[in-house]
Amino acid sequence: MAKRSDFLFSKESSHFFLPWICALMVFIATLVLAGGIATHNSLKLWQKSVAESLTVQIPTYNEEGKPREELVYRDIENALMLLRTTPGVLGAIVLNDDQMQDLMTPWLGSDAVVSQLPLPKLIDVSVDAAHPPVLEQLKADLAASVPDAVLDSHRLWLGDLVRFANALLTLIGLILILLFATVAITVVYTTNASLSIQEHILSLVHMLGAQDLYITNRYAWHNFKVALTGSLIGFVLALPIMFGISIFLKSVSGQILQSSLTSVQWCYLVLVPASVALLTFLTTFKTVWKFLRRFL
Amino acid sequence: MPNNENLSPFIAEFNGVSLRYNKGPEILKDINFSLSPGSFHFMTGESGAGKTSLLSLLYLHLEPTKGRVRLLGQAIDTMSRSTKAQVRRQIGVVFQDYHLLNHLNAFDNVALPLRLAGEKETEIKKHVSELLAWVGLEKQIKSYPEELSGGEQQRIAIARAVIHKPTLLLADEPTGNVDDAMAKRLMYLFLELNKLGTTVVVATHNVGLVKNFHFPQLHLADGHLKIIPAADSYSDITNKLFKREEK
Ligand SMILES: Nc1ncnc2c1ncn2[C@@H]1O[C@H](COP(=O)(O)OP(=O)(O)OP(=O)(O)O)[C@@H](O)[C@H]1O
Ligand SMILES: [Mg+2]
Repeated sequence: MAKRSDFLFSKESSHFFLPWICALMVFIATLVLAGGIATHNSLKLWQKSVAESLTVQIPTYNEEGKPREELVYRDIENALMLLRTTPGVLGAIVLNDDQMQDLMTPWLGSDAVVSQLPLPKLIDVSVDAAHPPVLEQLKADLAASVPDAVLDSHRLWLGDLVRFANALLTLIGLILILLFATVAITVVYTTNASLSIQEHILSLVHMLGAQDLYITNRYAWHNFKVALTGSLIGFVLALPIMFGISIFLKSVSGQILQSSLTSVQWCYLVLVPASVALLTFLTTFKTVWKFLRRFL
Repeated sequence: MPNNENLSPFIAEFNGVSLRYNKGPEILKDINFSLSPGSFHFMTGESGAGKTSLLSLLYLHLEPTKGRVRLLGQAIDTMSRSTKAQVRRQIGVVFQDYHLLNHLNAFDNVALPLRLAGEKETEIKKHVSELLAWVGLEKQIKSYPEELSGGEQQRIAIARAVIHKPTLLLADEPTGNVDDAMAKRLMYLFLELNKLGTTVVVATHNVGLVKNFHFPQLHLADGHLKIIPAADSYSDITNKLFKREEK
């Protein structure tokens, strides 16, 4: 015997298409969104560095490769004096070897022996983000009093990275829109196909006095369940891949890429299967509602 | 407050109703009649006279091209879709071609109106089994329409039309596929319902039926409707018909 409420759906109506499209779209969308969030996190980090970090490098070796010895300390002294009197600078400290090590880890890995590298001395300058110093002025002043010092604002290359990341985020947004549009189109298509196959059922049930809202709701919930199942499958399949990519990125990039997500960001990811199911519900509802208008 | 003009004491009321399919000829022309609550009518006329078309107007499947149809007191052209659905629930229809759902067995086909009305499953089980037994189909309760004979399918269609004790029962050639004994039995089912207050219209070619049961006829010919009052015998009807046409 058919289930109590299954009279609206004959066997032919069960579409194999919809759950798999949903699974595939959610799979792709979850990965793309996770990539987007990681990009966004990294972008925030980079932007923060651009805004806040300013370093002054004092070379420890001269052009011929000879140690500059006490000249280094004189330069550091002068540079600190200049920096501490520059408006917009909150403080300036010379990094010790441990701090250098920490700083280098993302780039060189934790086993690099910093003290044996011909690294310059670094003065880390903390900047008042609201009223940053005028960089050009600072550069000129520094050139005048400490000609060997190099002002590194990270701005140049990080700026490119930020622009690239922003473009990537726009692209990811477009891809997500496209994926959702694909789901909506698939739902309209499969629903209409299933409605035409079952037109005789709908026509009869309509003549027996079923309300439009009743029929429409039944279809929408039916497709919602189908889509939710498919979506969860797609989501679950995306998780191990996400972790794989995240571990891989950590191993190749250190901490430059922020591939770990906050719990709020995890919620965003869970929203992917949920919104695909919701989109399916709404699209089905609208499609069936429109279809039923063919009956008086 | 409902609009008084739209209210009618009749179960159905047709005023100047015409019907044409698409751009075809008028199948029904200037039809005027009304069905009082609890009345019983036959609908007669040659094949192609428009019986099914007229019934379609009564069960809200078609709209008239001209004129006004009122059902259960309300004009259909001003009814909302939701009200139409409510009205349809109070109408039982035996379709000429049954319209059974092939993916449901006999029980579930007959149970359909009750399930749409949200009836309890225990009640549904009781009523449907009873009625199917009454029309001689207790053994076929789990059979699918494709496994049943034409007459058996017809009886399922009838059972589905009456299971919810509709206010108006419209039966389109309901005895076309059964023998005379079963035809009589089914007619008694309609009479039983009629006694309980259901207004009944039975479209039929079956002269014997019309002759045996003394009810007025809605007779269709050339797109026009003639109401032939109840008579004591078939010959009386033909006599009256004759006299009318002589005038
Ligand atoms: N859907 C339709 N489209 C066009 N013409 C139709 C349609 N349905 C019926 N007709 C035409 O309307 C006329 C009346 O048909 P209808 O089915 O109402 O007759 P009927 O009296 O029920 O005949 P029967 O006794 O054979 O069932 C016929 O000429 C038929 O060709
Ligand atoms: Mg007919």
